Amino acid sequence: MALPAESTASDFRGLFTLYMAIAIAVAVLVLAAIAYAAIRYRDREDMSPRQVRGLKQLEGVWVALVTATVVVLLVSTFRTEDRVDAVAGDPQYSVRVVAFQWGWRFSYPGSGVTVTGNTQRPPMLAVPSGVPVRFEITSRDVIHSFWVPALRFKRDAFPDRVSEFDLTVEPGVSTTGRCAEFCGLGHDGMEFELVSMERGDFDRWLKGRERRARSASGGPE
Amino acid sequence: MSTVAQPLPRVGPFEWALSIDHKRVAARTAALALVFFLASGFLALLMRSELAQPGLQFVSTDTYDQLFTIHGSGMIYLVVTPLALALGLYFVPLQVGAADVAAPRLASLGFWLYAGGGFTMYAGFMTSGGAGKAGWTAFYPLSGEQASPGTGMDMWIIGVALAVSGMALVAATIMLTLLRHRAPQMSITRMPPFCWATFFTCAMTVTSFPVLVVAMGLLFADRHLGPVFDTPGGPATYQHLFWFYGHPVVYVMFFPFLGVVAEVAATFSRRRLFGYPALIISLFAFTGLSMTVWAHHMFATGQVNNQYYSLTSTSLAIPAGVEYFDVIATMIGGAILLRAPMLFALGFLSLFLIGGLTGIIVGSPPLDYHVHDTYFVVAHFHYTLFGGSMMGAFAAAYYWFPKATGAMLREWLGRVQFVLLFVGVNLTFFPMFLLGYDGMQRRVADYSPNAGLTTNNALATAGAFVIAAGVLAFVVNLVVSLRRRVPAGHDPWAGQTLEWATTSPPPRLNFASLPPIRSYAPLLDLREREERAP
Repeated sequence: MALPAESTASDFRGLFTLYMAIAIAVAVLVLAAIAYAAIRYRDREDMSPRQVRGLKQLEGVWVALVTATVVVLLVSTFRTEDRVDAVAGDPQYSVRVVAFQWGWRFSYPGSGVTVTGNTQRPPMLAVPSGVPVRFEITSRDVIHSFWVPALRFKRDAFPDRVSEFDLTVEPGVSTTGRCAEFCGLGHDGMEFELVSMERGDFDRWLKGRERRARSASGGPE
Repeated sequence: MSTVAQPLPRVGPFEWALSIDHKRVAARTAALALVFFLASGFLALLMRSELAQPGLQFVSTDTYDQLFTIHGSGMIYLVVTPLALALGLYFVPLQVGAADVAAPRLASLGFWLYAGGGFTMYAGFMTSGGAGKAGWTAFYPLSGEQASPGTGMDMWIIGVALAVSGMALVAATIMLTLLRHRAPQMSITRMPPFCWATFFTCAMTVTSFPVLVVAMGLLFADRHLGPVFDTPGGPATYQHLFWFYGHPVVYVMFFPFLGVVAEVAATFSRRRLFGYPALIISLFAFTGLSMTVWAHHMFATGQVNNQYYSLTSTSLAIPAGVEYFDVIATMIGGAILLRAPMLFALGFLSLFLIGGLTGIIVGSPPLDYHVHDTYFVVAHFHYTLFGGSMMGAFAAAYYWFPKATGAMLREWLGRVQFVLLFVGVNLTFFPMFLLGYDGMQRRVADYSPNAGLTTNNALATAGAFVIAAGVLAFVVNLVVSLRRRVPAGHDPWAGQTLEWATTSPPPRLNFASLPPIRSYAPLLDLREREERAP
């Protein structure tokens, strides 16, 4: 059982830093080797140069190093993914997402609150901060992808199924989310605004929307 | 060995177009690929112009969607894959001492299917609804009849099926040549690295390309006959079929150029390739893994076993590490001549490196969750495809143009082109890493002026025009070098493999006689023996 995430974005940050550090180190090493070889051995008169000794052994060391690095990267990836992909058994908060050409509908199960928007008027997606929020996502037509760049997370919305995932959002986030899977003419404008609120504030916001929704539909149920 | 210089035979256009000589079929394929390269590159310039600043300035969103679809489709189906296989079709028979390719009529049919497919795809622009606009991947249901009605989409499907079928045929003939038509002394352990790289390329091609032809058939049937993919699990099934072709093809577009670069590095370091057995084994391992990584394109679908595909994809770093080591170790201790082919080979090594390392990053599912379908990925695969494959293609062009035409390409124009491309590739594609990380999704005609994306987009657009200048230098070089010929002789580079033991261009049946073949570098063996002789 993986530990609950501090936040989805912080999980990404740790792993990305490790990958970038290794990528930069390898890039510098290999580029330096290429530059060294090309400059040091350029334009020599020797027409039949001899083999440099010890390269065969060095190749063995190099392969062992690369293999070890691959193992380190994979272990870190699997650990992080276990946390990012973990879904709580009994989520306290959940949102249903329906993507369509070209907009989003967010609904909060049990409250009757639904927020819909399109490319002209992007909808707002309010979530409580600091707790895992369950997302159930589907599409009404083609494949879309729910991407919140600031949360470092996306998940595709397929028309033939509902996908589930949990996100933990840091407090005070107000950011733009967008569709990442090309979905036709309105793809570039298919955005939404994600706002995270303290749990108390979120509960009040949801209650307020619920009251308005009920009065708009003509009195109590 | 008879290597009497011949005048370039005069060939009528009709004869050239209908010849089934493997060299002419390959030259036709490369020439047509160059035409599609210029056309698809022009589409990229239109796209970069549109993206230079926020807002819509030059094209509508609908047009833009056609531009990126045909740009990507053109480059992959009609440019880099055909170029990679055209090199094999031309040089594999020469390198193994064969008189012709096996099944030359089949290879020629492959060319005509490819040509027909390419023109069909491009002709979509002339239909009322425009060309295909569902991306080069044409994911379902977006590519279905409901979301993408119109003839342009159908022509895209037919064009892809034809071009991909044609290339599968060409690959089959090359593979057969390698297996059955080698000269008697050319055992498989004496095949030059380029031949090995091409052998594995062809193995991936004949295994994976038919799957895409089937997927295109099913997609066409879904659009016109009745639901195929419109079922639970159907959209993901289309993606599996597509990527079962779509990931091996990435290495089909990489291996032959890696082979060229290995040979160029050896020839221009004036020595034998380091670690031949390790290189061949690593190519074999790479090929095996390459058939098991396809669903790393589907991490964000939540419908595949991410950890398995992450494991196989990340493991590719090990054989890739061996390949880099062997090429660099070949240079170390050599006597390096920095002529144009070698410059492009060095460009290939350093730019593909960036593409490869960022490939490891996108091979990690939690990282891919963020950068998938963004400009980060666009940057990654352009470093592999332009920085890698196209740099390798230009290395091959400068290396082998003298063999195919009997004339040298201009060295100084080659250097100008190299500098322009090296600067242009970095200026265009490096900012795209930042754009994707900062939140710009791919396949958009417009972006918000307040999203902090403006500067990097302007830089990328400037870079695209630097690349265009580099490509122009190449075209000028081709024209100048063919018109005012500087004779190359049969072996201008002190080559190591058999193609340099015949005339430039080679006669119809390639060789009058063959030198003895005792290793993967028979001509280097000869030179070393002469030096040792008193």
